[in-house]
Amino acid sequence: MTVQLQPPFRYVGKKRRVREDRRFVAGGGHYAADLVLAGMLHCAPVQSEHPAARIVAIDASAALALPGVHAVLTGAQLAAASEPLMNGANTPLVVRYPLAVGQVRYAGEWVAMVVAETRALAEDARELVQVEYEQLPFVTDGEAAMVEGAPLVHPPHGSNVLLDRHFFWGPVEERFAAAPRKLAYRVRWARSSTVPLETFAVTAQWDASQDVLDVWASIQMPKFPDQIARSLRLPGNAVRVHYDVDVGGSYGVKRGIKHAVLVGHLARALGRPVRLVEDRLENMTGGDMQGPERVFDVELAYDDDGRVHAMKMRALDNVGAYAGRSPFQLGKPIGAIVGPYAIEAVEYHALAVASNKTPQEAVRGFGQAPTNYALETGIDKVAAALGLDRLEVRRRNFIRAEQFPYLIPSGTTYDSGNYHGLLEKTVAVADLFAERDALRAQGLLAGVGIASCLEPSGGNSSFEPLLNPMNRTTTWMESCRIHVDALGGITAAMHTTTSGQAHETLVSVAVAEVMEIPPERIRVIRPDSLASLPSNSPVGSRMAIMLGGAAVRAAQKLRAQLLAIAAHDLGVSPLELRYSEGDVHAADGRKLTWQELVVIAHREYFRLPPGVEPGLSASSIYMVPTGGELPKDDKVQMYPCHSFEFHYILVAMDRVLCRPQIRRYIIGHDCGQVISPDVVKGMTLGGIAHGIGAALLEEFSIDAQTGQPTAASFMDYLLPSAHEVPPVEIVHQTTRSPLTVFGQKGSGESGYLGSPAAIAGAINDALAPHGVRVDQLPMRPALLSDLLEGTHA
Amino acid sequence: MKPAPFEYIRAETVLQAQEWLAADPEARVIAGGQTLMPMLAMRLVRPTRVIDIAGIAGLDEIAVTADHVTLGAMVRQVAVERSAALAQALPLLSKAIRFVGHPPTRRRGTIGGSVANADPAAEIALVAMTLGAEVLTTADAFAARDFFLAPMTTALPAGAMVTGLRFPRVAAARRGTGFAEVAMRQGDYAMAAAACELVLGAGGEVPSLRLGIGGATPVPVLLDLAAPTRDAVAAALAPLEMMHDPNAGAGYRRRAALALAMQALDEAQREVMA
Repeated sequence: MTVQLQPPFRYVGKKRRVREDRRFVAGGGHYAADLVLAGMLHCAPVQSEHPAARIVAIDASAALALPGVHAVLTGAQLAAASEPLMNGANTPLVVRYPLAVGQVRYAGEWVAMVVAETRALAEDARELVQVEYEQLPFVTDGEAAMVEGAPLVHPPHGSNVLLDRHFFWGPVEERFAAAPRKLAYRVRWARSSTVPLETFAVTAQWDASQDVLDVWASIQMPKFPDQIARSLRLPGNAVRVHYDVDVGGSYGVKRGIKHAVLVGHLARALGRPVRLVEDRLENMTGGDMQGPERVFDVELAYDDDGRVHAMKMRALDNVGAYAGRSPFQLGKPIGAIVGPYAIEAVEYHALAVASNKTPQEAVRGFGQAPTNYALETGIDKVAAALGLDRLEVRRRNFIRAEQFPYLIPSGTTYDSGNYHGLLEKTVAVADLFAERDALRAQGLLAGVGIASCLEPSGGNSSFEPLLNPMNRTTTWMESCRIHVDALGGITAAMHTTTSGQAHETLVSVAVAEVMEIPPERIRVIRPDSLASLPSNSPVGSRMAIMLGGAAVRAAQKLRAQLLAIAAHDLGVSPLELRYSEGDVHAADGRKLTWQELVVIAHREYFRLPPGVEPGLSASSIYMVPTGGELPKDDKVQMYPCHSFEFHYILVAMDRVLCRPQIRRYIIGHDCGQVISPDVVKGMTLGGIAHGIGAALLEEFSIDAQTGQPTAASFMDYLLPSAHEVPPVEIVHQTTRSPLTVFGQKGSGESGYLGSPAAIAGAINDALAPHGVRVDQLPMRPALLSDLLEGTHA
Repeated sequence: MKPAPFEYIRAETVLQAQEWLAADPEARVIAGGQTLMPMLAMRLVRPTRVIDIAGIAGLDEIAVTADHVTLGAMVRQVAVERSAALAQALPLLSKAIRFVGHPPTRRRGTIGGSVANADPAAEIALVAMTLGAEVLTTADAFAARDFFLAPMTTALPAGAMVTGLRFPRVAAARRGTGFAEVAMRQGDYAMAAAACELVLGAGGEVPSLRLGIGGATPVPVLLDLAAPTRDAVAAALAPLEMMHDPNAGAGYRRRAALALAMQALDEAQREVMA
C-alpha cells in the first residue's frame, strides 16, 4: 500500500514553467527525422492499390536497375527472415508481417519497400516496381463482414470475427423485467484518430562489431524493444532503442512495430543505416494509425424517476485488416462501463470484426470515448422520454460521494469521486439554457450539451487476460532511477519515450517534492533501452500515477539512504534525525549538509555505515496500484484511478447552413491532486479540440464500391483548426485518490473522453424543437441540414 | 511526397514565359504554388518544366484607372487584402479575399494562379464573374463567363498564360457589397458561396444589382435576377446544376446557395442604406 504524501506541498500543484517548453518552443526538439547518419539510406513503400488481392508476382528489376537503388524488399523475403508481429486477441491464424505476404488485405497496405540513396529516388523507383495482382472480393463494412458468406479477410481464421465476448454482470434480465420503462437505440462512431503532425519515423543501424541494432523511432509503445527483438529473432539485449528521441505527437497511434521491424531488418541486411519517414499519404493509408470505428446497440431499463437500473450494450468494432492490439480497445471501457452512474447490472457484448480496411491502432482513451458517447446518448434519451431536465437525470443517477470506494458490476472499484459537487460547481458558471433560449429567439438553432464521464487512469494490462485467456499479463510496471553525482547533482532517469506529456516536468517535480530541492536542479534523462529498467510507456493515462509513483518511491529510498548515512556518522538513530531541504539535522543541533553527505557517500568510505555500498543511487520499479490479479468470473479491476469530467456547452447554428459553432465551452475537471497545472490544462484543451474533430469533422472515409480510402490527406481528413476550437472555461475540483503518492489521478485523456458526447448532445438539443435527431458522428453540416429538410436518405 | 523530376526555370519576361510554354506542351507555370506544389509533391502532375513567373517585372502591379481596376497575375492575395486603393475601388474583392485560405497561403497565393486553376470554390473567380471582369492572357482577353468552363477547366488556349484580371469600374453614388460562404472549416473550399454588389447611380435611377454564386456550381454563376427577392433568387438558382461530394450533396448546396445569396444581398443592402 502506498503511503500517501499529504498537502501542503512545496512544488506539487504549483504553477511553474513546464520545463520542456523552452526546448519545443525554441525549436530545440530532437526528433527521429533530425537524425542524420553517415551512409544512411531512405525508404519508400510500394502500396497496394486493391482492398483485397492475391499477389501473383512482383518484378522489381526495373527499379533495381536505377542507379542509387539498393534494395526492393518483398513481403515473402521479409517473412522468411522474421517472425510475425504479435496479436492481441487469441487469433493465431491471423498472421501479420510488416509487408503483405501473398495477399493484400486493404488498399494502401505495404507490399514492398524500396531502399535508395534519397527518398526522392526511392519514390521514382517504386513507380517501376511491377506488382501483378489477382483481385479478390472484399468487404469494408463491419456489419457486412459478419454476415455468413462475406469475403474472408483471413480465410485460415474461418471467420471475420476476431473477438466475440459476451459478459453478464449482475441480474440484467431481472432488472429489465422489473423496470417500468425501457428504450433501445443505436449510435455510430466513425473512424477517426489522433493524427499527430509528425508521421511515423524510424532510423535503424546495425553495429556488426557488437551485434547490436540501434533504433531511433517516433514511438509510444509498450514493450517496443522486446517486440522488435522477437520479430527479428535477436536476443533482447541486441536491440537498443534510443528513448531520448522527441516524439512529435502520438496519443496512442505511434506504435510503429511494423515500421521498426522492417527498417531494422533492412539495416542489418544492407549493412547501412536505413531511415523510413512516412509521408502523409503513406501514414494515413498504410501507417496503421486509425482509431476505433463502432456501432453500438444499447438498451436501457429505467424507472419513472429516470433512474437507470440496467444496460445491455453491444459494441461492434470494425478493426480493419489485422488484429494487433485493437480488439483490446473493446476491453478497457469495461472498467468504466457504467460511467459515473449507479447502474446495477450490465450485459456487454464485445465484437471485433476484421474488414478490408487499414488496421486499427490505439487512440487516446483506448476505446473509452466512443463508449462514453454511447452511454451519454442514452442518458439524454432517458431525460427526453420522461420530459426531465438532463442535468436532473444525471444527478439522480450519479454515484454519490459517500458511496466511494464504489464497486461497479464489471468488477472495478472506483477509487474516489464527487460527481454531484463538480456538476453543481460547473453549472453555476453560467445559465446556458437561458443563453440558448436567447439565441433561439434570434432565429438560430441552439442547444446545450452535457456529458459526464470518467477517465480511467493508471493504465494496467487487465483487459489483456480478460479478453484473451492465453495472455496472463497482469504486471504493467513503470520505473525511475535517481543518481546523485560526486558534486551533488541529482539526475533522474525515466525509461521510455515521451510524446509531449511533459514527463520531465513530472519527474522533476515528484523528486523535488520528496527531496525538498527545487525541480530546476534535477536533471531528467531518458537513457536507451539497454540502460533502462522496465517500463510500459506512457499509455492509458498512467504516467502521473505510475512514473510519478516510481519517482517518489525512488526519492524516498534515496532520502532513507541519506538518513542512514547521517545517523551512522552522527552516532544517533535515524528516527532522531530530521531531513530538511537536503540537509540532515540531529535533535541536539548538529547537522550534515547535502554536500557533506555527498562527500561521505562518494569519497569517505570510512564514514559510511558498515556494509553500505558507496555512492548515492536508488530506483523503483513501481507496480500499478490495485493491479496484479487475474480476472475472476469475467470480472476484473481494470485501472486503479478514475478522474471525472463534466462538459457543459452551448452550440448554435444557422437553420439552413447548419455549421455548428461552439459558443461556450465549460468543463468541470477533477483529476485528484494536480501536479503541474499548466500540463493538465494543456491536456484538457487538446483533448477537447480532439473531440471537436471526432464529433464534427474527422473521418477516415472509404468508398464502399471500390474499397479505396477517400480521406488520405489533410485535404479530406479535416482536423479542427484554431478557428474551430473555442475558448474553454475550466472549473477545477480536487477529489484525491487514496491509491497514489500525491492523491493524483490521470489527465492524459481529459477533455476528449466527453467532448464528442457533449457536442452531439448540444446538436441534438438544437435539432429537438424541429423533431429530428442524429446518432452518428461526425455530424457534418449537410447531414444536419438534410435531416431538417426531411431529405436525408 | 517528392515530385517526379522536372526542370525549374525562371522567366524574366512574359514573352520569355510564353515562348517556353509554346515550345513545350508539358510545361507548367508556377505562380504562388499553393495548388501546384501539393499536386507536384503527390505526383498528380508531372510537368517536364516548371516555369516560375514570380520574377517577371510588372506582373505584380495593381492599377486603378477611371474605367478599370487591373491586377497582374502575380499580385499576391495578401496585397489585395492590404490595398487601400482596392478597398475603395473594388470593395467586393477586398471583402472576398479574406475568405481565401489562411494568412500564410494568402502570402504566397496569387490572383492569376487562382484564376488559372479555376477551382469551383475559388472566391476570386466568383468575384470576377459577379463583377463582369475580364481574364487577361497572352492570347486574348476573355470575359469571365467565357473563361471558366468546368471545374479546373478554362478557355485558356494551349501555350498561353494568364497575365491578369481586369475589372470594370462603375460610377456609383452609393455602393454596398456582401460576401458569404459556408465551408467545413474556416478557410476551407466553400461548399457554397455568394457575392453581391449593389450600386446606386447619382441620378437616382434603378439600382444595379449583381449577385453571384460559387462553390455550389461547377463554375461561378452570375444570377439572372428579376427582382432582389428571395423568390427571384430561388428561381434563378432552380435551373443550375449543383455539385455534390461526400461532405455535401446537391440539395444542401442549393439551399445553402440561396441562404448565402440572401445573406450577401442583405449585407449589401445594409451597406447601401448606411
